[in-house]
Amino acid sequence: MGIAVEASGLVKNYGGVQALRGCSFKVEEGEVFGLIGPNGAGKTTTLRIVGTLIKPTMGWVKVFGVDTVEGASEVRRMIGYLPEDAGAYPNLSGMEYLRFMAGFYARRSDIEAVVNEGIQISGLGERLGERIKGYSKGMTRRLLLARALMVRPRLAILDDPTAGLDIVHAHHIRVKIKEYVKRGGLTVLLSSHNMLEVEYLCDRVALIDRGIIIEEGGPEELKDRYGAENLEQVFLEATRIG
Amino acid sequence: MVRILLALMVKEVKELVRDPKILLGVVLMPLILFPIIGSAIGVSQESAVRAASSSPIAIYDEDKGEASQRLIGFLEENGTVITLEASSLGEALTELEKGGYPTLLHIPLGYSANITSGRKAMVRIYANLRDLTITETVGAEAAANLINIYSYQASLSRIERLLGEVGATYEAEAVRSPIAIHYSSLVKGSLIEAPPHSIIGLVISQSILLPVLVMVMLMFAIQMAATSIAIEKEQKTFETLMTLPIDRLAILAGKLGGSTVVAILGSIAYMFGFSFYMGSALRFASQTPLPIGEVVLSPSPIGLLLLGCIIFITLVSGLALAISLAIFTDSVRAAQSLVGVVVIPVVVPAIILMFTSLENLPTWFRWILLMVPYTHSIISSKAALLGDYFGAVGGILYISIFTGITLYITSRLFSTERIITSRIGFRRGLRTKSKE
Ligand SMILES: Nc1ncnc2c1ncn2[C@@H]1O[C@H](COP(=O)(O)OP(=O)(O)OP(=O)(O)O)[C@@H](O)[C@H]1O
Ligand SMILES: [Mg+2]
Repeated sequence: MGIAVEASGLVKNYGGVQALRGCSFKVEEGEVFGLIGPNGAGKTTTLRIVGTLIKPTMGWVKVFGVDTVEGASEVRRMIGYLPEDAGAYPNLSGMEYLRFMAGFYARRSDIEAVVNEGIQISGLGERLGERIKGYSKGMTRRLLLARALMVRPRLAILDDPTAGLDIVHAHHIRVKIKEYVKRGGLTVLLSSHNMLEVEYLCDRVALIDRGIIIEEGGPEELKDRYGAENLEQVFLEATRIG
Repeated sequence: MVRILLALMVKEVKELVRDPKILLGVVLMPLILFPIIGSAIGVSQESAVRAASSSPIAIYDEDKGEASQRLIGFLEENGTVITLEASSLGEALTELEKGGYPTLLHIPLGYSANITSGRKAMVRIYANLRDLTITETVGAEAAANLINIYSYQASLSRIERLLGEVGATYEAEAVRSPIAIHYSSLVKGSLIEAPPHSIIGLVISQSILLPVLVMVMLMFAIQMAATSIAIEKEQKTFETLMTLPIDRLAILAGKLGGSTVVAILGSIAYMFGFSFYMGSALRFASQTPLPIGEVVLSPSPIGLLLLGCIIFITLVSGLALAISLAIFTDSVRAAQSLVGVVVIPVVVPAIILMFTSLENLPTWFRWILLMVPYTHSIISSKAALLGDYFGAVGGILYISIFTGITLYITSRLFSTERIITSRIGFRRGLRTKSKE
C-alpha cells in the first residue's frame, strides 16, 4: 500500500489571518482519514490545499506522489472534491447535473455508465428529473457526493459531508462512502464535526486545532491513549492540552 | 477541449434561460412591455387628437353683427359650437369654467364694423386649462386653425374682388404671398425633398435611441454575468469546477460564451420590442411620411456589419468586466451592489450623448468621456449608421483593446486562488467579529 496524501509543514496565511501553522500528516492508500477540529481550526483550508484550490504559503502536499502546486492538473484527474456547504446549479435537473459533470471525465461512450453510477450513489431515483432548486439540503448533498464518487477518483476529498443533514440523509451518505471504499481503489480524506461519524467511517483521524495537528491515530488507539470512552472526550482532552 | 467548452456554455445558457428573473428580463420585458407601452402612447395620442377635433368651442358673441354670424356659421360647419347666452365677458368666463368647455372664442364689440370697413378685426381665444396637460392646448390650437383658415379664405375672396374691380389678372394667391419656398436637403450626396429640420429631427431621435439601446443592453449583460458568477461562488459550484480536470480558461470562456449568447438573445428581443414600441408610438405621429428613410435610417451592409461588431465587442467587454469584478465578491447581494458602481461608466456617457454631442463639450471633459470605452460603443454605432466607417473601426479597435486587457486580467485572476478566497462584502467583517 502506498501513500495517498502526504502533507508537510503546511502554512497558510490569509492576509493577516494565519489559518495553518505547520500542518503535517499522511494518508495511506485505501483508508478513510478524518480531519477533526473545532470551527476555524483550518480543516477546510487544508482540504482546499490538497484539492489544488489554493496554494500553501509554505510547505507542500503530494497526492499519490504528485505535488498539488506543480502537478495541479494531474492531481485534479485523480481527485473528487466535495466542497463544504456546497450547492449545485439550481436550474438544472439532478440528471443534467450528473451528465454535465460526467462529461469532464468520461469518454462520450462511457458517460452513460458514469451517470448510472451517479444515479446509484445518489439514490434519488425519479427525483433526479426535477430541478435542483426544489431539492432539500440532504438531497443536494447526496447529488454532490454522487458526482464526487461516480467518476471513480483515487482520492475523494469530502469537506464535512454530512454537515446539517438529518439522520436518514447522513446515514445514506456514510453507507455509500463505506461501500465505495470497500470496493477498493478509493482513498477518502474527510473533515467532520461529528464524532459518531468519524468513529463509524474513519480508519485514522487527525485532531487539528488552531492550524496544527495535535493528535493522530486510529479511533481506538486515541481512546486508549486518553483513557476516554469516546472520541468526543479525546477531542476535549486533546484540545485542552494542546 | 471544444467539447468541454461547449458543455460549459450549454450549462450556462440553460442555467440562465431557465432563471425566471432572466427570462423576465430577456423575453417578457422587451417583447411584451415595450409594445404595450408603445400602443398606450399611440392610443393616447390618437385619442388626444380625436378629442381635440371634436372638442367644442364655446362662443361669446358680443358683436352680434353680420360678419360675426358668418364666422360662427363657418365654425358650426367645421366643428362643434356652443353659443353662450352671456351678458358680459365675465359671465361668459364663469360659464366656460362651469360648463367645463376647453376653449372660449370671444368676438368683441366692433368686430363686424372693422371687417366691413376694411380694418383688421380681432378675436380672443381663452383656453381653459383645468388639468394643465398638453392635450388641453390642442383645443385652442384647433380653434385658432379654423379661424386662420376662415381668415385666409376671407382674404383670398376679398383680394379676388378687389382685383376684379381694378381689372388686374393677378392670382389672388400670388398677391397674398408672392414668394413660395421649397426646401430640399443634400445628405451625403443624395438629394432629399424634405426640410432640414425634419431630417435632423429624425437623426436626433435616432441618436437618442442608440445610446439608450446600448445602455440597456450593457446594463442587462453586466447584471446577468455578475449575478451568475456570484451564484456560482455562493453555491460553491465554482469550487467544484476548479477541481475538475479542465483548463481554468475554459471555465472562463464557457462563462463568457454562455452569457454572451443569452445577452445577444436579449439584445435581439430588445431590438424587436423597441421597434414595435417605436412603430406603435409613432404610428400616429408619422402621418406625413418623409422620403428620407432609405438614406438616413437604413445603413449599408457594411455599416450593419460594423454595428454588429460594436455591439458584440461591447457586450464581451461588459461581460468580462462584470465577471472579473464579481469574482471578488462572495454573495449575490455584494455582486449586485458592485454592479451598481460598474454601470456608472455605462450610464453616464449614454445620458450625456443623448442630449449633446461630444463636440459641444469642454475639451477636458470630452477626453475623460473618450477614455470610457462605452462612449465609443455609442459614438461608433452612430458612425457606423451614418457611414463613417473609419470612425466606427477606430471605436471597435479601442473597445477591443480595452476588452483584451480586461480579459487578460480576468484570466489571470482565474488562474489564481483569489477566485476562491477573496471576499468583498459582508462576511469578512462578520467572521472576524464573531471570532473575537
Ligand atoms: N478566504 C479567507 N480569507 C480570510 N480568512 C479566512 C479565509 N478562509 C478562512 N479564513 C480563516 O482561516 C481560519 C481557518 O478557516 P477554515 O475555513 O479552514 O476552518 P474550518 O476548520 O474549516 O472551520 P469550520 O469547522 O467552521 O468549517 C479561520 O480563522 C478563518 O476565519
Ligand atoms: Mg470548514
